[in-house]
Amino acid sequence: MWKKEDVKSQGLPENLPGNPANSPALVSSPPREASTGLPVSSKSSACISQGIRIKGEVTGSEDLFVDGHVEGKLNLSNGSLTVGPNGEVKADIFAREVIVRGRVDGKIVGREKIQLWSTGNVAGDLQTERLMIEDGAVLRGRVEIETGKPIDKHTEARSAAAGTAKSGAVSVITGSVAN
Amino acid sequence: MSFLNKLGIGVGAAAGARSEIPRAIGSSGRTRTGGPAPVAAVGATRAPELRESSRVSNGLKEFLWNLDGLGRGTLLDLGPAWQTTLSFFIERGFRVSSEDILRAWKDFLVEEEGKLREATGRAAQHNLDVTPAARAARFLEANLQYPNSSFDAVLLWDLLDYLEPLVAKQMVANLTELLRPGGVVFAMFHSKKPEGFQRYRVVDPTTLQVVSSPVLCPAQRVYQNREIQDLFSRYRTVKSFVGRDQLRESLFIK
Repeated sequence: MWKKEDVKSQGLPENLPGNPANSPALVSSPPREASTGLPVSSKSSACISQGIRIKGEVTGSEDLFVDGHVEGKLNLSNGSLTVGPNGEVKADIFAREVIVRGRVDGKIVGREKIQLWSTGNVAGDLQTERLMIEDGAVLRGRVEIETGKPIDKHTEARSAAAGTAKSGAVSVITGSVAN
Repeated sequence: MSFLNKLGIGVGAAAGARSEIPRAIGSSGRTRTGGPAPVAAVGATRAPELRESSRVSNGLKEFLWNLDGLGRGTLLDLGPAWQTTLSFFIERGFRVSSEDILRAWKDFLVEEEGKLREATGRAAQHNLDVTPAARAARFLEANLQYPNSSFDAVLLWDLLDYLEPLVAKQMVANLTELLRPGGVVFAMFHSKKPEGFQRYRVVDPTTLQVVSSPVLCPAQRVYQNREIQDLFSRYRTVKSFVGRDQLRESLFIK
């Protein structure tokens, strides 16, 4: 059947960012080759894997996969956040794109897109341009869809700047980490 | 016999099922580009395919007619968060809040049973008030928490049939406070005890899709017309439509 290989790898689709099978570290930047210093794969992303608990604020501009517990605030200005099936997030989330397959308790702002998968459970308001909800997803909150917002030059400039600064790793800037 | 069994709720019933994800809200028909495809639901458990059928809904038609010209209204949907229903109302300018009350009720009962078991296990006197009134109060303290007069419309669906009568009564009272004057409630009542468990989603202005789902809660009672009128006695207008499928659709205007 289709997607069988996904089930093998902790039920994560290959194209989802931050498959923990590839990056088991707590908060890791893309793996780099020691000799050249170049990223092995530009698609790999940071991951907070199952069993990891973070309290505080997580910020960055890369993609992030959360399959552990995060409490506080998640701010990925230009990145995509995926809350995995085991992920539990008690935080307000700001990101370009948010995919929820686990549990989120807090407001979600997904600038471009929010996806709630069938296993997703959200208690909080959603604000985005595009929303996709799979049958079986649980939502308790208000939905705000912002469409047709003209992009002003200031925003474009900021987006461009964010694009050039994409090599910055996701960082925990405040709070405590416990395993 | 456990507390949940008395209520006829099987713990661990398969929750929800997947079907093809519809077009994104706000996408205006654009095709999906880039990024992960959301359709690949890979879960540990996958419920069997849901049976779906359509029914013409005069109640929905009347509901929309009452909301016509409202502009940017606010809607509270007390059913599951279906993409089609949310899209339908958001595209018409509504700000939609979603809260699946029956799922919350089931979760609440499971939690209550756990608390009760824990309290009795300690063999000490427990002070958990298990009377229906106390349970109703506890449930509503944790759910439907919105400011008064914050909604123009409520989709109540048929959930009153599945709640304990005291919870249903108190919930209708709370909803009345949440509705603005002139606000509309769309509710459904079974004329006889339903055999299965169904959820509903809006397809178009006159059609509802009836989705047979795994049982979340068993039906508690069948309301007679007089009882429905008593429940909604604070509403100035009541309109009902009876379908061939033993389902009464009712509109209550505050």
